Amino acid sequence: MLLAVLLPFIIAIIIPFLSKWKDKIHPGYFVTIIPALIFIYFARFLGSNFEPVMREYSWIPSLDINMVFYLDGLSLLFVLLISGIGALVAFYSIFYLHKSEQLGHFYVYFLLFMGSMLGVVLSDNVFVLYSFWEFTSLSSFLLIGFWNYKKESRYGALKSMLITVFGGLSLLGALVFMTVLTNTTSIQEMISQQQLILNSEYFPLILALLLLGAFTKSAQFPFHIWLPDAMEAPTPVSAYLHSATMVKAGIYLVARYSPMLSSSDWFFIIVSSVGIITLCWGSYMAVRQTDLKGILAFSTISQLGMIMSMLGFGTKVAVFAAVFHILNHATFKGSLFMVAGIVDHEAGTRDIRKLGGLMTYLPITATLALFGTFSMAGVPLPFLNGFYSKELFFDASLHLDEIANVGVVGFIKMLLPYLAVFGSIFTFVYSVYFFFGTFRGKSHLEELPKKPHEAPIGMLISPIILILGVILIGLFPKWINEPFIAHAASAVKGLEVQKEIYFWHGFLYPPLIMSITVLVFGTVLYLSRKQWAPVYRIIPGVLSMNKFYDGLVDRLETYSSTVTKGYMNGSLGRYVRLVLAAILIVTFAFMAITGGFTVDTSNLADVSLPEIFVAITMVIAAVGTILTNNRITAILILGVVGYGLSMLFVLYRAPDLALTQLIIETVTVALFLLVFYHLPKLRKKEEAASTRMLNLIISVGFGAMMTMIAISAHSSKWFESISSYFIDNTYKLGGGDNMVNVILVDFRGLDTLFEIVVLGIAAMAIYGLIRLPGKKEEK
Amino acid sequence: MSNLAALPIILPLLAGIVVAFIHKKTKIVRILSQVISVVNLIAVAWVFLQVQQNGSIILETGGWAAPYGIILVGDLLSMTLVLTTNIIAVACVFFAPQSLSKHQEEYYFYSFFFLLVAGVSGAFLTGDLFNLFVFFEVLLMASYGLIVLGNGKVQLRESIKYVLINLFSSMLFVTTIAFLYSVVGTVNMAQIAVRVQEVEQQGILTTIGILFFFVFATKAAVFPLYYWLPRPYISPNPVVSALFGALLTKVGIYSILRTFTLMFNQDVQLTHTLFIYLAALTMLFGVIGALSTHNVKLIIAYNIIPAVGFMLMGIGIFSEVSISGTIYYLVHDMIIKGALFLLVGALVYVAGTSDLRKMGGLIHHHPVLGWMFFMASLVLAGIPPFSGFIGKLLLLRGGLAQDELMIVIVALISSLLILFSMIRIFIRGFWGEKTENPYPERKRKAAKMAWPVAILLSFSVLLGVGAEWFYPTIQSIAEYLMDPQIYIDSVLKE
Repeated sequence: MLLAVLLPFIIAIIIPFLSKWKDKIHPGYFVTIIPALIFIYFARFLGSNFEPVMREYSWIPSLDINMVFYLDGLSLLFVLLISGIGALVAFYSIFYLHKSEQLGHFYVYFLLFMGSMLGVVLSDNVFVLYSFWEFTSLSSFLLIGFWNYKKESRYGALKSMLITVFGGLSLLGALVFMTVLTNTTSIQEMISQQQLILNSEYFPLILALLLLGAFTKSAQFPFHIWLPDAMEAPTPVSAYLHSATMVKAGIYLVARYSPMLSSSDWFFIIVSSVGIITLCWGSYMAVRQTDLKGILAFSTISQLGMIMSMLGFGTKVAVFAAVFHILNHATFKGSLFMVAGIVDHEAGTRDIRKLGGLMTYLPITATLALFGTFSMAGVPLPFLNGFYSKELFFDASLHLDEIANVGVVGFIKMLLPYLAVFGSIFTFVYSVYFFFGTFRGKSHLEELPKKPHEAPIGMLISPIILILGVILIGLFPKWINEPFIAHAASAVKGLEVQKEIYFWHGFLYPPLIMSITVLVFGTVLYLSRKQWAPVYRIIPGVLSMNKFYDGLVDRLETYSSTVTKGYMNGSLGRYVRLVLAAILIVTFAFMAITGGFTVDTSNLADVSLPEIFVAITMVIAAVGTILTNNRITAILILGVVGYGLSMLFVLYRAPDLALTQLIIETVTVALFLLVFYHLPKLRKKEEAASTRMLNLIISVGFGAMMTMIAISAHSSKWFESISSYFIDNTYKLGGGDNMVNVILVDFRGLDTLFEIVVLGIAAMAIYGLIRLPGKKEEK
Repeated sequence: MSNLAALPIILPLLAGIVVAFIHKKTKIVRILSQVISVVNLIAVAWVFLQVQQNGSIILETGGWAAPYGIILVGDLLSMTLVLTTNIIAVACVFFAPQSLSKHQEEYYFYSFFFLLVAGVSGAFLTGDLFNLFVFFEVLLMASYGLIVLGNGKVQLRESIKYVLINLFSSMLFVTTIAFLYSVVGTVNMAQIAVRVQEVEQQGILTTIGILFFFVFATKAAVFPLYYWLPRPYISPNPVVSALFGALLTKVGIYSILRTFTLMFNQDVQLTHTLFIYLAALTMLFGVIGALSTHNVKLIIAYNIIPAVGFMLMGIGIFSEVSISGTIYYLVHDMIIKGALFLLVGALVYVAGTSDLRKMGGLIHHHPVLGWMFFMASLVLAGIPPFSGFIGKLLLLRGGLAQDELMIVIVALISSLLILFSMIRIFIRGFWGEKTENPYPERKRKAAKMAWPVAILLSFSVLLGVGAEWFYPTIQSIAEYLMDPQIYIDSVLKE
């Protein structure tokens, strides 16, 4: 099983090396084999007596991150969809993408996606799941940006990435939370310890984070906005990622965690209402689209909403219908995307306003579209699988017996059947619109960039297979029910789910009445669509999530820029002020909170008159330095401070230090005087009085703070200093008379060595600066 | 006691001095520097293995026993960081000839480079607070030398800011050491730890600790002390930027980590809570900075800051898991920042501009550069299975285990924004219409620039995918840091 997941990745790495054969044979043939093999591998597991399989491969055991693959009914459904549709799409792409395209890139992303998607649905380890999850987002980003010379592609790619990675990160938050609470990284073990999570005070947050991840990925309202823009990707990609598989990852996640979460009222409220709103909004908006792929994108959004809401209901019927519809949706929507691709390919446009009457030119394609759209619309015919799941959906919305009747829950429960019908009416309208708008009516051949003709047979094979699926599932639902769908539904529900699928239940069967209502109202609305089209000017009107997203992204940049320029203005004075103020405030606060300030006068020596004199001189000189306007005066006064310091050393009986200080001071002043000759005149910067006041407060405050800490440090001599060791051993062990010297060259010789290095570096840096060639003054 | 502890300092010190004497013979210096760097890396790796097998290596320099002499402590944390430093050094030394001008190479680039490595390694290894100050001076002085190298006008203007802020923080550093010495009467870190513990960090000690924090935080670029960082970091040559971005702020973080696990660990409630808040602000303001500009170099420089927030977060949460997260992130960040600065240096070189608005379609001419950049963006944003993810995961786990909800959410938001700031470069710079290559003649040199970056990036992948090989070591370091007694006993031998 590890090989099955890793195979696409391995091949993805090999593909770039095969690029030189690209001209001889289309790499798509090669790539089609891989999902086909995977499909065959997993198809072996099908059967009524299927039992979940668990495989473990060690990866990072010390972090509890291992490749644990868990294949149950739900995973099996997804795995077969991913590999099956993957093979069909890869085959289709051979005819869709010309050899002159960057095929190597395309198939690498394609395989990366396929491997990641398999990983998502098979991983039992949450962090492995998360890794694959992010990789699906990334490969989707690269595929949408495949034609990145188009501005729209770049826009769509960024949008999908930001929204899905946002969801991915919030999913990560939820997963880490659950890991910390249950102390396991396995989904199955988390479910078995669900009480720890459900009873945690953080449960609402965990649920919200998890659902954010699922809703963004599965394009649920209001995060659906990335999906229509993702249609910039080549059509095979749209058919595969943005309809059949990747967008169902969110559905998968919710289904996977259903056994744990569905007992919570919050889960029902959020998931079923978000799902049903998405269903209605998506189908309503689909009618307005003019691009064939745009219609299909909103249709996908709406169908995903339908599946999501059924998972939210959580009843046996609903769960069964949900997994059944996952399969059905993949068949008819996959084929419809391929149809859209064929129309685009053969007629040169996907704009439904220019299309029409193509039935005569593309008869086979039109037939395929007919089955696909009618199945999507849920037209009650026994050979359309879409009708069965639609009817089960209506049935489920009417039989929410496990749900309480009180409060918000009861209110939502009451509304659900009506919203289900409302959404389905529009589904009917856009399905009919898609078919009739493209294939019937008047043809305007002169507006088409190409003269339309039927697609090559190779391009038709994949959609034909999918439509055969639509019909066969419709005719013989039993074939897939027990060996397949029932297992998937049981895995979601957490207990055995059995459900017979019938076509005919009698005339007074309520779901049938709902279906017929949809049919009637749908036809009326389709025929009168010109009359009520202005309603779109009111809803959504100018308000749209897209505007919100664009505004957010734009503003993120402008606000960041404003904020950053607000304090990073390049002025050194300002930086220093901010740094000092920050240190000042926090350190004072800490000193106050910990009661750090202490004064202990018991251990002080007497102050003599010369000391006071020297100290006052130094203070006056220091203040004088700031006040003067003249560099030379400033440096001379600064010299006074230095000499004062050496006087203090003399008074404290440290003649060697005094001497050193005296030399340093003299040399410094002399050097400064030499250099200052070359400098421009010192100009006092004109600063606002408030800034000067602020400077004064900060500097006085900082001085006061340092003084207070110094006093406190001096008053807290709790330990004997190590200096006594040096006093005792300077002569005995160090062999010298002068303690300072012995410390410098022996006890702490390493310090001295590196201080010399510091001086050496400084010398080299200055030399390098002076020897700069091409300096203006140099001739 | 073993002299091995000094090896990572001595070798680059000697190299720095030797190449200074033959600085005009550029070709010899180049090859010599490359050879020595590789040798040094191997030597350090060997010492690392010794430490991993036999425990910390202690060197009492000059034979003066602790706490009187200067002690070098080659423990697993120090050696891990020294090893990472040398990996970056090797990548930089091979990148350098491609991006430096003749004058820059002649006027002591390689000397400054080696002495910077010596200073950084010394800072990681020393067990003496005053000696830490000295090594800070070494690495700072070398960085001053590097930042003015080449003498551009903008460069000098930005250097002044860099130098002044760092001088200030050095002054504060040495003053604070004096304060601490007055209270505990020692500068040996192990002994300080013992004594602070003995009096339960009462009185003025916490305040002194906070001053130390600010000293290191200024170097590490923690909010609100990072103003000096972004522009001075991008004004010198890319290879210098890479050294700065990879090493300098990390020395600050290391110092905070060491100081607040070993010495000031008695008032965690107060000090470490401050760290968590500052970490959150650092992440947010840093990433806002990265989004505020179209200068690709500046975007990378700003991205240093949120990473510092992540590392500080782990110190603030202060559990074994979170500390191991910090260490993992530290190693990861050193490598990826080195790689990114070099990469962006190459990008600017081939594009002829650092303004994102003037770029586009570069991937058609420089596919390798483009894909490496894409990968580096993922690594930086902490996308699995790369190195950034492991560190981030540990930090998130640690945070939630301690109920630090706020910082976890901020960390997640920042991750998204980091990715956005990076992918912007990829979309606007590399994607787009295929246009005439503005500088076709630069292709060969750019390919040479790609190699060192590829090596660094493969380390990032290895650290992520092969986390099993590294994590146990990192975890044992965290365990060791959370129990300071081990350090104290190994140094003071009581």
